[in-house]
Amino acid sequence: MQPKAMKLAGLAIALLGMVWLSQGIYIQAKALLAQKLLQSAWQQTLQGKSKVKPWAWADTWPVARLRVPSRNIDLIILEGATGRSLAFAPGHMQGTPAPGDRGFSVISAHRDTHFAFLRNLQSGETLHLQSGSGASRTYQVAAMQVVDADNASVPINATDRGLLLVTCYPFDQLGAGSRQRYLVYAIESKSPEGEDV
Amino acid sequence: MKDRTENEFTVELLCGLLMSILAGFMISALLAVMVMFLPGLARTAEAADIVDRDMLRKNEVTRGSVLLQTESKGLYRMAPLVKTDVHMRVNGMLVRTRVVQRFKNPGQEWQEGIYVFPLPDKAAVDHLRMHIGDRVINGVIKQRQEAKKIYHRAKQAGQKASLIEQERANIFTTSIANIGPGETVSIEIEYQQTLKLDKEHFRLRFPLVVAPRYIPGTVPNVEEQVQGFSGSGWARNTNQVLDASRITPPVISPGHGPLNPVTLRVDLNAGFQIDKIQSSYHRISQEVQSATSMTLTLADKQVVADRDFELVWKPKSGHVPRAALFSERKGQHNYLMLMLMPPDKQQIAQQVLDREIIYVIDTSGSMGGASIRQARRALQYAIRELKPTDYFNVIQFNSKTSRLYQQSVPADQVHMDEALDYVRSLQASGGTEMASALHAALELASDNETGRLRQVVFLTDGSIGNEEALFSIIKDKLGDSRLFTVGIGSAPNSHFMHKAAQFGRGTYTYIGKIQEVDEKMSALFRKIQMPVLSDLKVEWPEHTEVEMWPARLPDLYAGEPIILSARLSAQQGTVRLSGKRSQQRWQTDVTLDTEQQSSGVAVLWAREKIADLMDRLRDGSSVDVIKKGVTDLALEHHLVSRYTSLVAVDETPVRSISEKLVTKAVKVSLPAGWQHNKVFSNLPQTAAGSYRDLILGMLLTLLGCLLSVYFHRKNTHAA
Repeated sequence: MQPKAMKLAGLAIALLGMVWLSQGIYIQAKALLAQKLLQSAWQQTLQGKSKVKPWAWADTWPVARLRVPSRNIDLIILEGATGRSLAFAPGHMQGTPAPGDRGFSVISAHRDTHFAFLRNLQSGETLHLQSGSGASRTYQVAAMQVVDADNASVPINATDRGLLLVTCYPFDQLGAGSRQRYLVYAIESKSPEGEDV
Repeated sequence: MKDRTENEFTVELLCGLLMSILAGFMISALLAVMVMFLPGLARTAEAADIVDRDMLRKNEVTRGSVLLQTESKGLYRMAPLVKTDVHMRVNGMLVRTRVVQRFKNPGQEWQEGIYVFPLPDKAAVDHLRMHIGDRVINGVIKQRQEAKKIYHRAKQAGQKASLIEQERANIFTTSIANIGPGETVSIEIEYQQTLKLDKEHFRLRFPLVVAPRYIPGTVPNVEEQVQGFSGSGWARNTNQVLDASRITPPVISPGHGPLNPVTLRVDLNAGFQIDKIQSSYHRISQEVQSATSMTLTLADKQVVADRDFELVWKPKSGHVPRAALFSERKGQHNYLMLMLMPPDKQQIAQQVLDREIIYVIDTSGSMGGASIRQARRALQYAIRELKPTDYFNVIQFNSKTSRLYQQSVPADQVHMDEALDYVRSLQASGGTEMASALHAALELASDNETGRLRQVVFLTDGSIGNEEALFSIIKDKLGDSRLFTVGIGSAPNSHFMHKAAQFGRGTYTYIGKIQEVDEKMSALFRKIQMPVLSDLKVEWPEHTEVEMWPARLPDLYAGEPIILSARLSAQQGTVRLSGKRSQQRWQTDVTLDTEQQSSGVAVLWAREKIADLMDRLRDGSSVDVIKKGVTDLALEHHLVSRYTSLVAVDETPVRSISEKLVTKAVKVSLPAGWQHNKVFSNLPQTAAGSYRDLILGMLLTLLGCLLSVYFHRKNTHAA
């Protein structure tokens, strides 16, 4: 009788595994599918509408588009880095300069979905950022840093345009909680104008 | 043989079953993704994300601690430290204050320091001095754009320069260019103000912190509104508040050591015998010179700039001044400031009117901590003060506005108990969308047609940036109502509250700590039950050209003096003040002839006039006209305003142009009682944990399959 019970236990474990598996698939699928759904909202933003909500009850809207040709990455960035918006897209952290503005604009995303590519990103690689006004800027990866989430700080260096891409670290960690963050600093490649007065 | 086929069949069946279940889960996962985008179900599906956000709150992340990038790659350094020395000289009703801010550059690079700081409302800033070693460079007043250009030119040329700009009526910014490695630069500013007199108590305030302000509205498309490097604050510019990034300095998190330490000294020459003097929020030590004068300093040698300083003193009974007149001759004009106490309250006929009182309480995130406790206490006090004949309602607002009752209800025991319970349960979180609350309060009042006296009591810390938009709501909707603002917390935006009360034809009360809730609220209630004088009028001597501020005198409540400043072509004769008290008229004559000259009176008059001109911007007056008026006046009186700045440049270049200059914003201490993580979000959780789900899920599925197959075999073998 015992083997039979064990067989059933095995089945139960398999079932549990599948529930888990489907949750993982669900997260990945949501991240992928949401990017597609954000496209139309982004197109409307480029046509001059502001705060286009991608779906009626959304509390966020697209603010920029980030492309990394070398890594085959093309992402729409949402306003606000809340748990809710990060499930759909990278989020621009409120309180930091808008993407494309002077100063470091902080953009964060999950290390296992949209920002998985940060792991392989190297110094000197090129990022393209298009802001809502349609203006495109080119940034270059300047430095990478691992910081403690509790002591992390956002640099204020308002003379340059920069991006600060943030994701959880280490990349190989399996679970969701993480005390460390991986930061990628990117600085605008060329500044067309001098300091504004 | 038969056994084997049966075995194979069972295993196939089993795995087939498992595979179909797996496929089922996958399909349901896909379905769930789609369902995500249907409103009704979105909530439950997002439950997991909400848990994530709660976890964030528990982390005490310190985003306020601003580190700055240096030229050496990857290295960050603390912003330059600031020490502030304040010296206030009080002469009768006039106060002259000198503030010295010391900027130290702890780093190896040349730096630019930027510091946002508050001054009292209507402070007339008229002097800037830059101390470099033994040398002193005096600032000159220029139009704001021109001053900026001068400053930037000096900055590029490697010269030491400083600039003072006014951002809001009570918020200023100091910039200093080219502070050398390890060097200290002192910036000295001076301003003039008047004392506040309220029920025989004189009050002197020095604001020590700028509270981070809530900036509502949407974020505009950037390009045009980029403020450049001078704005290094943490809010981005939004539609309603275009200079947001300039008025939000980076904030130090609690427990990061005393930043911006302050020393303070007051030389008080009251002009009458002082009965009692006390500092409301700081310990002080006093050195008595005579019955009418003394020197006060902070007992702790240095305090952190995290709560405002307030000094209150009271004349000995019988020495209470009934009137005061200060004058100054400057150019072709005579300037004067007149203070007059209306007659005693004993003479006032007690006439109690039926009232409708609407309480509005701010429950936004910035009210978290001590502030919300103070506000709750104040509101509970206010509700208990109601008379059975009064009608009342309670409105709370954060990101949304909600009211306790649909319409105002009589203040009977049942309703009061209900309201007290409601107030007890109030919690602070969310944004500060004050506009809808104001609409609700003033509309509720205008619904009422019973002829009751309508009073709106508004409790908030006023941490908002869209002041202008709110003022216009008050102006449009006020009607016959009166708006009384109550400032809560250690650093309320008193400019906003003061002005809101002024437009609301009410008064402003400030409550700095929980111990004074009862005292201040009872004073407010005694006051609003008893308007003393209305319809105040001033008659100046004939053939005298007069320009007077405020142009229209407000209602007077018990304990308040009349204060006005005026510019006259000639100072002689008598001025007659009159008003209406209940049913009777009241009038007093004041003789203007005086030989005594007091400096600062002209500057105060100019400051009043500038404040009035700036107010007119809200009435839709042409910006260009106002700008010209303010600029001319400010240049004449050497005053910092929204359109004029003080700039000082040391002609000797100190930094060779090849060395780079790094811009830093100086940290501002967070007001006492503010909960840090309620103001700032921290770095978000950036792992969804899908790898764990995928890998563990796969492993478990595999393990389960193997187990069941293994035991199935064992089972059949055994059989």
